[in-house]
This record gives sequence, C-alpha cells and structure tokens, in this order.
Amino acid sequence: MACWHAQSDLDRYVPAFEVGYRLWGLHHAEVLLNTRTDPPANVLDRDEHPHADRGGGGCLGGYLGRYFCCDLMTALLTVSDLALGYAGRTLFDDLSFDIDKGKTLAVLGHNGSGKSTFVKALLGLIRPMAGQFHWHDGRPTQIGYLAQMTEFDRRFPIRVRDLVAMGAWKGLGLRAGLYGAARLRMEAAMDATGVLGLANAPLHTLSVGQLQRTLFARVMMQDAPLVLLDEPFAAVDQTTEAHLLSIIHQWTTEGRTVVLVVHSLSSVLHNFDEVLLLGSGMATHGPVDHTLSPERLVVHNYLSQNQADWIFRRPPEPMVSGDA
Amino acid sequence: MRRAFVATTVLSVSVAPIGAFLVLRRLSLAGEAMAHAITPGVVIGFVTAGLSVTSLLVGGLIAGIGVAGLSALVAQQTILRSDASLASMYLISLAAGIFILSVAGSPVPLQSFLFGSILGIDDASMMLLGGTATLTLISFAVLLRPLIISSCDPVFFESQTSKPWIVDQGFMLLLVLNLLAAFRTLGTLMAVGLMILPATAARYWANTITWQLLLGFIFALMSCWIGLTLSYFLPQTPSGPAIVLVAGGLFFISMLLGPYGFSERFRRSSDASNTPRFTLSKGKTP
Repeated sequence: MACWHAQSDLDRYVPAFEVGYRLWGLHHAEVLLNTRTDPPANVLDRDEHPHADRGGGGCLGGYLGRYFCCDLMTALLTVSDLALGYAGRTLFDDLSFDIDKGKTLAVLGHNGSGKSTFVKALLGLIRPMAGQFHWHDGRPTQIGYLAQMTEFDRRFPIRVRDLVAMGAWKGLGLRAGLYGAARLRMEAAMDATGVLGLANAPLHTLSVGQLQRTLFARVMMQDAPLVLLDEPFAAVDQTTEAHLLSIIHQWTTEGRTVVLVVHSLSSVLHNFDEVLLLGSGMATHGPVDHTLSPERLVVHNYLSQNQADWIFRRPPEPMVSGDA
Repeated sequence: MRRAFVATTVLSVSVAPIGAFLVLRRLSLAGEAMAHAITPGVVIGFVTAGLSVTSLLVGGLIAGIGVAGLSALVAQQTILRSDASLASMYLISLAAGIFILSVAGSPVPLQSFLFGSILGIDDASMMLLGGTATLTLISFAVLLRPLIISSCDPVFFESQTSKPWIVDQGFMLLLVLNLLAAFRTLGTLMAVGLMILPATAARYWANTITWQLLLGFIFALMSCWIGLTLSYFLPQTPSGPAIVLVAGGLFFISMLLGPYGFSERFRRSSDASNTPRFTLSKGKTP
C-alpha cells in the first residue's frame, strides 16, 4: 500500500487536498481548507507505513496524517479466506487480499477459472463457499455492474437515453423523473462515452461498440464507488477499447475502484494496477508486474510453457541499420 | 351485443400491456402455454363447484401458479431449460384437463371452453373482467419501471435489487388472472391471440415502450370492435376467432408497412454520417 511521501510539503499539499476533496466531499475538505494557510511542516515525511501511531502529536499533523496516510489509502474492502465454487467443485479457496480505493484490479484466468463467479460474488449474486468480504465503509448502496455482452437483448424497444437513464433507477425509485442535475449528469455521461449524438437512436440501430459505450454511460449514471466490468472489451474494436480504457482511468482518478475481467494479457500488463490470477484451483493476487511472471501464468494454466516462452522471450537486439 | 363490446373494450385495456411485456420478455409462447396450463384447474373447478366465476378463478389460479412455479423449479434444479420444462408441464396439464372434462361430463361444451362464448357473458364475468383490468393497470402503474428494466437487461436488474423474483412472479400472476378474465369472452385458445398479436403488430411501429403499450392497446381495441361487428353481421361465425383474425390482419399490415417491418429491414439508422466521433482524451491511456 503506497503512502504519501512528501519531499516538499508545499507542492504535495495541493494535489493531496484535491484528492481529499474528491473522496470525502465537503466536510473533510473544509477541515483541510481551514488549515491551509499554514502549510504543515514535518507532517508527511514518514518513510515507513503511516499506520504507526501519530494521532496524538500536533493537531495539524494528526489531521493530515490521518486523512492522507490512513483514510486516503485504505482498502475499500478486504477479501478474507474466500472460497468460491459450485456444488461439489471448488474453483479456488483461501484467497485473502485488499481491494484499494481508486485502483484497478484485473481478473485474469482461463475459461471456467471463476472470473465471472468472483465478480458475481462481489455483487452478492453468489454466496461464497467460505470466507467473506469485509467492506470497510459498509457495503456501498450502489455497485456499478456491466455483465457480459452476450446476455443483452438488443432488439428491445428503447432509446439510448433510456438505457443510460436506467443507471439512475435506484435513486429515482418507481415514479420520479430525471430532471435538473440528474439530467445534466446523464448528458455528461453520454458525452464522455461519445453517444450523446445517438441519444434518441433505438438500440437495434447501434453497433456493438456503440452499445458498449452506451452501457458505460449507464455505469457512470450509477455513480458507484465500486465498478465491476465483466469482459468489457470482448466484442469491441481497438479504438473503442482505448476510449473505454481512458474512461476507466478517469474513474480511478475520481477515487472509484474498478474490478474488471479481462482476457488479454497485454491489456492487463499495460493498463491496470493489480491483478487477480485465477486457474488450476488457485488464486494469486498482487501488483501486475510482480504477479504476472511466466512461471505463475503457466502454473495457473493460463499459458502453456511454449506460449510463455514465446511471449516473455528477450527482445531481439536492435538491428543495426546499414548506413554506417 | 352491447355487453360484448363493453367486455372486449375492458379486456383490451387489461390485456394490451400484458401482451406487450410477454413479447418483450420473450415469453410469447409461454403465454400460450399458460393458457393451456390453466385448463385442468378451470375444469376441476367447474366439475366440483359448479359453473361460477369463483370456481373459475380459484381453480384457474391454483393450476396456473402451480404449473408456473413447478416449471420454474424444474428449470432451476434440473438440466431442462425453462421453455422445455414449461412445455412438459402444460402438456400434462392440458391433457389432464381434457380428460377430466370428457370423463366428468362438464356442463360447458368443449368448443365454448376453447373458443369462448362472448355473446353470453353474465354479470359475474363482467365483474371479473373489470376487477382484473383495474388490478392490472394499478400493478403496471407501480411496477412499470422495474418491469422494463428486468425485461431489457435481467442481469443488470438482478444486480440492482435484492428481490428480483417479485417482478417475475407478479407478472406471471397478472398473466394468469388476465387469461382467466379472457376465458369467458375468448376462450383459452383465443385469449393469448388478443395479447400477442396486437403487441407484435405494435412492435413494428414503436421505438419506445410508451408507444409499444399505446399502440398495442389501440390495435387490441380495433381487433375487438371490428371482429365483433364481423361476427355479428356474418351469420354462424364465432366471435373469438373473428377477433383474433382481425388482430392477425393488423399484424400483417404492420409487418408490411411499419418502419421496423419489411419496409426498412433492420437498416442502420440513416444518419450514419451523424454518428459522433469521439477523440481519445489526452494522456489518460498509457
């Protein structure tokens, strides 16, 4: 878990303030704002993990220490001793790790290794065989969820805007309409995903990529601290994937946590913070670059030995061009 | 005859939204199956408790809910898909119904059982129609939004609510009620026709749920009125099939002329040049 190391207090201070503002809303930001005229000295200089006792010291240091080093970086939830599976078959067991706020967690594994099951267990649709999820701030009332594309009926007679508005359903209840701020938010979401111009188009006229961007807009309407995406790039082209990835990164800068099932190894290596590698009845969690070693990928049955050798081969020496 | 017009008008109000959602939830054939499935309940009700609306209602509801629940259970717990399990259940149920009807010698002739006898509706049947229509409309007013979401994207709906089955089962209950209400006017075989055909016809014109519901109602109403008039003026024609045939005619017309029918075969929206171009936001994607 990273901590806020400050070489120069002042230039770390402002971005930290911004992040704090985004994450906790006005109240905590005001606390910080009041103290802002007096930049802290010697507050964020710890090299070691900051959970060590620092509460009693100077009040300012106490505040910032608590807010930045503890709250800011704490986990959204802790997975402890989790085992998933269906009757008579365990997919994996004994899985424990933290899912941090504002991070992306890619779930990787061969077909049938339990990727979707893990996502559905997070959602609460499937009961774990053992273990539990411990939500540090309580289970969020809203969890963004995007299922696999194959489960969607595209001939349904609604327009793009209606599908996007569905994301706000829980807040609106049975009758209330979508007006004012919520409507602006919907338009902003459609604009960000590039479907604003299609707002009145019926669903069956959309391409797969357009539909997926519409569904991303719906996720944005859900305004959830945790977003679960099950194979969001499975059926879309490269351009759309790049666009959707930029949206996902935007979410993380807003402090949202994104858990997504991905099939492409290179995509995981380049785009995400942490990985949960499933397969062969085991589960391994860690930062992407440390976890995805060729040996592990083979052990988890994600790659054959040959494939691993080929993918992780040393890059050939650069060719010397013959102009010398 | 005037009574028949009132009855079918009320029936159209009630049955149109049910039909629309049967089509949208891909349950068109399940509606037909449920219509067959309630037969034994109704027959047993008639045989044991006499020819009354109460026995119709109680017997039909028990049979309908029984078959729906049992087939859902079978689909969930065994390897059969939901359509196969429902088909098995309703076939057994239908056979049992006809068997009992023949053996016990019900006061109702088989033909009026299957195709209805619209010109002889009594007050109690009218009350049942009115009550069902009221209940259906109130339920739809309350449940419309969850119903739309669960029909469009059931997986998303499941992730949003802790009790997704309420909508499913509530809808099934309304379906059975409406089938029973339509039983006297159209018979078990024709009742589903008035649900499905106006809805599928409306689908060729509508691109929103609102239009789908509204047009479905208008088509159902037109079928009833034109069909009744036809069967009145042409001697010896049964009213139920006449109504459903008119609905079928509307369906074919819609298929040929409607914007989502043959005239514009799933063409992409013509404003392809207007599709927005997005630009990659800078610096966000590594």
